[in-house]
Amino acid sequence: MIKFEDVGKKYPNGFEGLKHIDLTIEQGEFVAIIGLSGAGKSTLIRTINRMHDVTSGKLTVDGVDVMSLSGKQLRRFRRKIGMIFQSFNLITRTTVINNVLTSFVPDMPWFRALFGIYTREEKMKALECLDKVGILRKAFVRADQLSGGQQQRVALARTLAQNPQIILADEPVAALDPVTAKQVMDDFKRINEEMNISILINIHHVDLALKYATRVVGIREGKIVYDGPAENVDKDVLATIYNGKVDDEGNVLDANDHNEMR
Amino acid sequence: MNNRILEAYEKRPKDWMYNLAIGIIFVGLMVWSGSAVETAGTTQDGGQIALNVLLGIFQPDLSFLFDFTTQGVPYLMLETICIAFLGTIVGAILSIPLAFISASNLTPKPIAFAGRMIIMAVRTVPAFVYGLMFIRVTGPGAFAGLLTMGVCSVGMISKMYIEAIEDIDTHVIEALDASGFNMWQKIRFGILPQLLPNFASTAIYRFDINMRDATILGMVGAGGFGAPLIFAMNAYRWNEAGAILAGLIILILIIEYISTRIRLKLTRG
Amino acid sequence: MSVYDKIFKPKVYTLPNGNSVEKKASRAPVYFIFIILMSALSVKITGFDMKVLTQRIGQFFVIVGEMFPPNADFMGKVWGPLFDTIKMSLLGSVVGALLSVPFAMLASTNVCPNKVIVSIVRVMFSLIRTLPTLVTALVATLVFGLGTLAGTFAIAVFSFAYIGKLTYEEIETVDMGAFEAMEAMGATKARAFISAIVPQVLPFFLSNCLFNFEGNVRYAAVLGYVGAGGIGLILNEKISWREYSSVGMMLIALFVAVFVIESISRMLRKKLV
Repeated sequence: MIKFEDVGKKYPNGFEGLKHIDLTIEQGEFVAIIGLSGAGKSTLIRTINRMHDVTSGKLTVDGVDVMSLSGKQLRRFRRKIGMIFQSFNLITRTTVINNVLTSFVPDMPWFRALFGIYTREEKMKALECLDKVGILRKAFVRADQLSGGQQQRVALARTLAQNPQIILADEPVAALDPVTAKQVMDDFKRINEEMNISILINIHHVDLALKYATRVVGIREGKIVYDGPAENVDKDVLATIYNGKVDDEGNVLDANDHNEMR
Repeated sequence: MNNRILEAYEKRPKDWMYNLAIGIIFVGLMVWSGSAVETAGTTQDGGQIALNVLLGIFQPDLSFLFDFTTQGVPYLMLETICIAFLGTIVGAILSIPLAFISASNLTPKPIAFAGRMIIMAVRTVPAFVYGLMFIRVTGPGAFAGLLTMGVCSVGMISKMYIEAIEDIDTHVIEALDASGFNMWQKIRFGILPQLLPNFASTAIYRFDINMRDATILGMVGAGGFGAPLIFAMNAYRWNEAGAILAGLIILILIIEYISTRIRLKLTRG
Repeated sequence: MSVYDKIFKPKVYTLPNGNSVEKKASRAPVYFIFIILMSALSVKITGFDMKVLTQRIGQFFVIVGEMFPPNADFMGKVWGPLFDTIKMSLLGSVVGALLSVPFAMLASTNVCPNKVIVSIVRVMFSLIRTLPTLVTALVATLVFGLGTLAGTFAIAVFSFAYIGKLTYEEIETVDMGAFEAMEAMGATKARAFISAIVPQVLPFFLSNCLFNFEGNVRYAAVLGYVGAGGIGLILNEKISWREYSSVGMMLIALFVAVFVIESISRMLRKKLV
């Protein structure tokens, strides 16, 4: 369970990324976070595994106060939260399986980590994860030879291999074409349903968000302006979230910037 | 004529002065540098010598070229390969710390600048100066040669290492951070896999160059084919010189072919 | 499937759910063994000895120490040869680069349709590049006599092959669209080349020339060793007379010259590309 209690985030330059966030997410939910570029979507997601610090309020994950963690505790805490990035963030110069295997490294004895020696169980586990996202055949190919969609699936397999309870996805399909984006979203959905992993996803494509997520959180200027089931999101709700930049059919007009700088 | 068009025409960039200045500077530099060309004149007919050199290369001394004792061309080539190989390894290792302190994305600016200055100083000293200095250390022979080669390689290798380090994709580090890696695990799994192929590729490239530059070592008595080549040429034994050059050209072409293929594989996978 | 994969069978992983995947045998052990064997052979042939190195490396720094303080009075005699070295490399680089242009065009498949000519010119470029510059310089001293002419010739030959190769690679990667457009408008091939390809290649060509010049200044210092003029000549002389403080002065002068030239050249190259 992820619980935000009056959480605020102020950047050193004075900009308030998050204002008075109250949000509770139960285990196994599929939450899509939508909003304009710079509204604070990325910041919200990144405070959960403390890639960003919060500056006020209280954020707990399974009863643990995130801001109280540091060093080794923080790293151990991060083990149970997977993260997926817009630009995949793979080690492109090495094979797909080696990318997945890196997720075991933090739990390995130092000498095995030093030489990159993995046990048979670890390799089998990595292969199973690749099988789950449907790219088992590419296991021994170099990661930079895969297409974008395939690379994002490798990233997903890497995250699965660390047995997470929560997966945070920061614009996972923004760099993909519509067809591959749908495939990756299907993977997320399946993982969410079969393994009861909570999924929090930042997404610009409102149609995908409404189609896949069970719950939608709308953010505008650092504040939550909508929180509810995907079915209840209508034109008015979108207009609120997107500052009125929605056309008659409910399409968001802010398509120029998919890259949140913050 | 429309005034606006005239106005725009008047505002056209007038860069003929700029071009003229560059032209004058260029011609001036050429005249200046032409003034240095001088020669002591030859005792023999230069054309005849040039012809002899060419003939020598096309009619190499075959018994010398296929002499498989320690006096023959094959052994000289083997010795040169060994000098270049170990020299490259020495240079590649020496370059690692230098490159890391000089990479501007890792170290503070003043230290990085100092590192670059050191690299440049190391690079400026001509190879034969190092050769003569290392002969004082180890005595004449291949050992001095490989040390010279190592130090001479540092300049270029560390320069290319620095580029590789500055090109590191830091997104990977972010991903590893999010899954709970500690500092050295991030270096081992996030940075090294990105650097190693680059570093290996650079070393192979430098090995290629070192093979060509090995001539200079022989001249100062630091091993390889250089000394026999110079002796043969100074004594006008063109067939012998031709044999060495023929061996060298074949060897370099082979090495270049192999190294290009390996490097392509390293970068493209 | 290569021979290697036939000898070392790929490893098959089968998952509990029945799916399986093949892993080709890694080549890494082969490379590793090759490097170890090669190092062992090299150590044996070159007589590499860590003990000698650690015991006597001090000698190297003794010489470095004797270079400082450098003999400032000697500077008066350094100017001439230093500028000779720079002039030699400048002239050689320019001549070599200019001569290489027509040959580079002949070596580009998109400009020269005749495959035979293309491959002949390319083989010529790579043969000339294999020739060590020092050997060219030595031959040149025999042909032209001792002096800077020989050095200039050697540098021109090297620059010819080096710039030639880079230029034809550059011409080949050029966008041919503009060339086609020119031809479609009725321009001759030569016109189209000048208007469509030259502007694309020129900045890279000039940048390569500057880079080549930088390297040549450093290399020209070596050429004096075989009598091809420049600073190398007196550098070699002073080393053999063990006048290390004069050597130190020359090295500092060379360092400053190379630094200035590299800074200017880097600035110009940044503007170009």
